[in-house]
Amino acid sequence: MSNFTIKEVLVEDGALRHSLTNQILQRLPGIPVQATKGVRSKASSNEMDMGKDTLHLVFYKGEFFKPCPGTREYMCCGYQILNVATNCPLNCSYCILQSYFNQPNLRVFVNLEEELKRVLHVIDSEPDRIFRVGTGEFTDSLAVDPITCWSDLLLPAFSKRKNVVLELKTKTTNIERVLDSKYRDRIIVSWSLNSPYIAAREEHGAASLKNRLKAARQCQSEGFVLGFHFDPLIPHPQWKQEYLKSLELMDKYIDPKRIIWISMGSFRYMPGLKQIIRRRHPKTCVLDGEFITGLDGKMRYFKPIRTDLYGFMRENMEKWHRDLGLYLCMESDDVWQMSMGWSPGSSAGLRGYLDRRVVEFFG
Amino acid sequence: MSIQENIMIPTQLVDVKNIDDSSGPYCMSFGFDLRPLIRSIDSIGLLNSPLLMKTVQERLNIITGYRRIKAIKTLKWDKIPCRILSESKLPPLECLLLNFHDNLSTRELNCVEKGMALSRLTAYLPDSEIIEHYMPLLDLPSHEDTLHLYIKIEKELEIEIKKNLAQGRLSLHAAKMLLEVDPDSRSSICRLISYLKFNINQQKQFIDYIVDISHISGKPVSDLLGEEPVKGVCSDEHLNIPQKGRAVLRFFRGRRFPSLTIAESTFKKMVAKLDLPDGVKIEFPRFFEAQHFRLEVCFKEGRELKEKIESLTRKEGLGNLGNPWGEGV
Ligand code: SF4
Repeated sequence: MSNFTIKEVLVEDGALRHSLTNQILQRLPGIPVQATKGVRSKASSNEMDMGKDTLHLVFYKGEFFKPCPGTREYMCCGYQILNVATNCPLNCSYCILQSYFNQPNLRVFVNLEEELKRVLHVIDSEPDRIFRVGTGEFTDSLAVDPITCWSDLLLPAFSKRKNVVLELKTKTTNIERVLDSKYRDRIIVSWSLNSPYIAAREEHGAASLKNRLKAARQCQSEGFVLGFHFDPLIPHPQWKQEYLKSLELMDKYIDPKRIIWISMGSFRYMPGLKQIIRRRHPKTCVLDGEFITGLDGKMRYFKPIRTDLYGFMRENMEKWHRDLGLYLCMESDDVWQMSMGWSPGSSAGLRGYLDRRVVEFFG
Repeated sequence: MSIQENIMIPTQLVDVKNIDDSSGPYCMSFGFDLRPLIRSIDSIGLLNSPLLMKTVQERLNIITGYRRIKAIKTLKWDKIPCRILSESKLPPLECLLLNFHDNLSTRELNCVEKGMALSRLTAYLPDSEIIEHYMPLLDLPSHEDTLHLYIKIEKELEIEIKKNLAQGRLSLHAAKMLLEVDPDSRSSICRLISYLKFNINQQKQFIDYIVDISHISGKPVSDLLGEEPVKGVCSDEHLNIPQKGRAVLRFFRGRRFPSLTIAESTFKKMVAKLDLPDGVKIEFPRFFEAQHFRLEVCFKEGRELKEKIESLTRKEGLGNLGNPWGEGV
């Protein structure tokens, strides 16, 4: 288990009768438990701590399965989000979840088991389509897995199906339950990576880069397909040397042939996040770059800075291995062309490219 | 007895010097221009008598009429007709509400005054009630965040900044941004904004640039504002205020966005070199983010358009026009 602690558990009214609630409570002996009605007010959990040490068991009435909120202006990979929780015990300075501080606490959705049936029904009803599904969009996929045991539930359900892959994306080393499971097929364990400089300065509470890659190696040696995500790429002093150090570590620990994809995205944020980051992380360097307003209204680096970042990473990753399934997250056709030397041309093209990777790796 | 009945009391003449004219716990006046009121009282007298509270220590505190009393003091009247309540008659919340409604019925409160009103109300009422009942009366949206913003404006901003805000020289948005900055920095920023008379948009840009640059360079804002060329621009007698403002903004923008600024000026030079026909313009997309440039041709009739297009096709350099970065630039 990573170095974070749960100090309190809140159980929402509707969550009481769920078996996942009982299982979670049993795994947290001695932690004070309190029943609540609905969302806790801001007064009791402030913007600075975001309730990261409070586990909030919630009966979630929202959508459990939805497409990644891409925008028309940039090419989107067509990922599907399996929404199992919001917030995360880690504390990355650039995390977009910081703007959701009016819904504080580690909110874990205990009705996942029932809702999963519905999700699987949607997947089964389109057998010719490939669903690339991930749980790591609004939380870290494995950070609280030792408590929630999501992997016990999800791995068998997804592993059995032929038109889906489940990606567990993390910055932790919490792989015990994943490794304990007997399921490997159609499961991708992924790590978000950065430069050692950014990992150490900005990804508070996350495992060191070396430990992430050691955990990845272990998963790979035990038969899991791996994914990696260099997102957000952030220019910083000596960024080229620093990102090269990450690639050297990857080379040391990972067999590139069993990597399904490596995505790259540069830091982008809704304008309102800036003040929150400044308040919560006064020493951060993530806001230092030249940000312009993108076509989707989000702040993103000025185009040549992005193409520099991607181009540099691509060139050096391809020196390591030619076939890594490299792709860009939310970028335009010209940025693809300038930095990758080719472009999928459209969101549909990008989806096709990634679906083909799935077929190559899992059949 | 209702509040109304409590205050239906006869006026009496009070020695002006006996009235405590500090703003006290009930008044919510700030940054006002007293001159129109002085002129009005001087010409037609006092129409509405202030309401005072006599404390157990026999002091006369103002419940309503703070500005009227200030005006009368300026006019050097000795006595003033007032209604006087004893402290036991009206609890503090009611005194506060009297002042609140007295102000609302006669004028619009500025942002600082709204902050004063709200922060005073929070001493007696729960936030939920203030948000639901009192914020709409102040023409404010019923949001917790807005409540906290106004209270912070009243409690945290320095007098000089509040004055600029109350008098409209500083926008609410800028004040909100300044709340995130340390007191020394925000005072320096506010002084320059006030001197350069930046409009709302310029204020926002300026604060954004300067705060970012301070973070990136590790230099305090006041040092940055004291550096050349800002100092030189501000003291340049050949420039008027809007020119100075634009020069300062240009300087900080260039410093905050060096690559973008270079790209913009390089592109402009590339276009200038083309020596385009009159009435023809080529523009880059905002921040170069979209993928297409824009050609604009002004013409009176088809023949002129044709000539311009033909002249354009003969421009040697046109084929090389593109993003002003990377190889060959
Ligand atoms: S690991 Fe992901 S979800 Fe957690 S704080 Fe970091 S960016 Fe946010």
